[in-house]
Amino acid sequence: MKRNLYKILILAVITILFVPSLMQAQAKGDSSAVQEARLTFSYLCTSNDSICLTANLFVKRESDTYGLMGAKIDFYSTQDNTLVLLGTAVADQDGNASLNVIINKLHPGKDGMISYTAKFGGTPKYSSASATFSAEPAKLRLTFNVQDSIRYLNVIGTRKDAKGQEVALPKETVILYVPRLFSLLKIGEVALDEQGKGSLEFPADIVGDTLGNLKIIAKIEENEKYGFVQGTSTINWGVPKQYYKAEVPSRELWTPIAPLWMIITLIIMLAGVWAHYFYAVWELFMIKKASKKDQPPI
Amino acid sequence: MENNEKTMLKEFAPQIERTGIQGYAWIVFLLAVIGLGLYAFIQQVTKGHVVTGMRDNVVWGIYIVNFIFFMGVSYAGALISGTLHLFKTAWRKPIIRMAEFITVISLLIGPCYILLCIGRLDKLHYLILHGRIQSPITWDVIAISTDIFGCFIFLYLAILRDIANMRDFEELQLPKWRKKLYKILSLGYTGTEEQKKRLERATDIMATMVIAIAIIVYSVLAWIFSVTLQPGWHSTIFGPYFVIAAVYSGSAVLILAMWFFRKVYHLEQYITKKHFVSVGLIMLVLAAFFGYFTFSDYLTKWYGSEKNDELLIQLLFKEFYWPFIISNYIGVLLPLIVVGIAKFRTIPNITLTAVVVIVALWLNRYLIVIPTLQSPYLPIQDSRIEWSIYSSTWVEWSLTAAGIALFCLLFTLASKFIPIVSVGGNTQEAKPEDVLV
Repeated sequence: MKRNLYKILILAVITILFVPSLMQAQAKGDSSAVQEARLTFSYLCTSNDSICLTANLFVKRESDTYGLMGAKIDFYSTQDNTLVLLGTAVADQDGNASLNVIINKLHPGKDGMISYTAKFGGTPKYSSASATFSAEPAKLRLTFNVQDSIRYLNVIGTRKDAKGQEVALPKETVILYVPRLFSLLKIGEVALDEQGKGSLEFPADIVGDTLGNLKIIAKIEENEKYGFVQGTSTINWGVPKQYYKAEVPSRELWTPIAPLWMIITLIIMLAGVWAHYFYAVWELFMIKKASKKDQPPI
Repeated sequence: MENNEKTMLKEFAPQIERTGIQGYAWIVFLLAVIGLGLYAFIQQVTKGHVVTGMRDNVVWGIYIVNFIFFMGVSYAGALISGTLHLFKTAWRKPIIRMAEFITVISLLIGPCYILLCIGRLDKLHYLILHGRIQSPITWDVIAISTDIFGCFIFLYLAILRDIANMRDFEELQLPKWRKKLYKILSLGYTGTEEQKKRLERATDIMATMVIAIAIIVYSVLAWIFSVTLQPGWHSTIFGPYFVIAAVYSGSAVLILAMWFFRKVYHLEQYITKKHFVSVGLIMLVLAAFFGYFTFSDYLTKWYGSEKNDELLIQLLFKEFYWPFIISNYIGVLLPLIVVGIAKFRTIPNITLTAVVVIVALWLNRYLIVIPTLQSPYLPIQDSRIEWSIYSSTWVEWSLTAAGIALFCLLFTLASKFIPIVSVGGNTQEAKPEDVLV
């Protein structure tokens, strides 16, 4: 009876421990159907006459999304109503695939817009997916000047018309950032005038590197016509970074030597312990010595 | 040698002189498991830590869990054997030797898991050459090496009488080299008044020292966690909490060892129900303390509502639900019920409870290490989901199994070298009818 009780108990414990996880594993493992792959498409036009096309390919499972690493994504541009392959990129661990294209190689349509398409051909496990985006190529340039001891940051926005000529980019809002350790710090906004120009009084309290160098990023974000446009420049208008050196003893662990209290405590403890060890070993020697003393002379 | 000692040695002679087929099968099985561990180790050395589940976030996996567990068992052995010796507990004789073996064997295996965790073993000596006293890792290296010396001296002092008895027991049929070994190791101990006095004095001192060192060393191990500001680790009660958890798990391992050797060597005459109940009661008291510390730790974290502590507690109740329940509810309540209620106090019940306690305490260490590392303050850049979620691999489990097998193997070999029940000393105490009634 008792043995049976133990068997039932052990069986119950095993059941509680393993059955839910097995069922979960089986539920997860049952994925023979073709899963729907989804594709999102973004576009960034930079000041060095190139655009960066980025597609994100993922599948949705329960409430989470998983990037399809290793998937090949083809990027096309519509030129004279036909799709022209710009290149192919492989998705990274997050499902992102990027391709840089020189803007001069592309011909805009009559409205000045260029149409881009990203396509994933699909696999037996995942469905095919595609996304399209149209944008007019634009450019942001940054210049700096000092007037009456006040520092100004100037932004000039241009776009390419249907003939490929650079013309002013009017009435758009440009956001200005400086990169910090984990994200971009917004330092201001500039509204471009009819000539595509705008300026901002440069803040005097932004910390740069040890020489005061700052990288400035100007962005037009999520614009319906131009998409993402970005221009960057570097200037030494930041406050030079100075490393603070504590004048009084601090408790950080990278001091050359340990704090005195720590050294003293450790020495007392170790000396106390090892003194007792030596005493015990000495007693062992004395036991050995006592045995020789008791032996009869040869 | 007293007559009682001779009688006991006669009884233990077969287990020391011979190893049966079952014994060899057991040793071969353990060697096979250790062999699997060696294969896994070679895989890890040649292919790198990528064969383990450890990644950028969870840099400590079950190796550290095993390290804490084995070290805990070792300190528990030291505390139990030291305390039983100092207080001259009447029923200690049949089980104190096992506690001493547990101390030393666990102490040999535990630090091996740290070595498995280190990626650059070739730079291990830098810990000595460039060790910084400010680093808790250096405290641990100093503490563990000090502890190893202390525990070896204590074990040697504790078995010296029996080594001398083995040397003098002529009926024992052993190879010459073993007889010679006993002769060398016995240091010429013949039990003269002076030798007895010196041995008693040294053993008393070392018993005191191993208790003190066990508390300090395991506290140092706890401080490695608690001096960081990580959620779940930054706790002032971690030192005593670790010590209590250690002795608790050690008492369970001792019960399991008692059950095993009682069964294998037919020691029913020496290790009786009274011993199981006595160690069981120690386990019960420790279960209550462990439950109290666990509740106190989680209650203050939960009530404080600090964001990251809250996230951690949520994680424990969702992703780690069953390990949390087994570790902190079943692991605490089962000994209280089984040992607390007199009707349930049978040898199988207490042993089964000890097994559950061992599993619960291993999971307790798992829950201390893994969930905290899975929820860091700062997300690492370019982090993949499989880098932040820990899942142990066959390599880690093989090396875990190898550690347990090595523990069992060394215990088995130790019992072949010296009687598993203390023979020497006060023969009045050694007589079962005097101490076990």
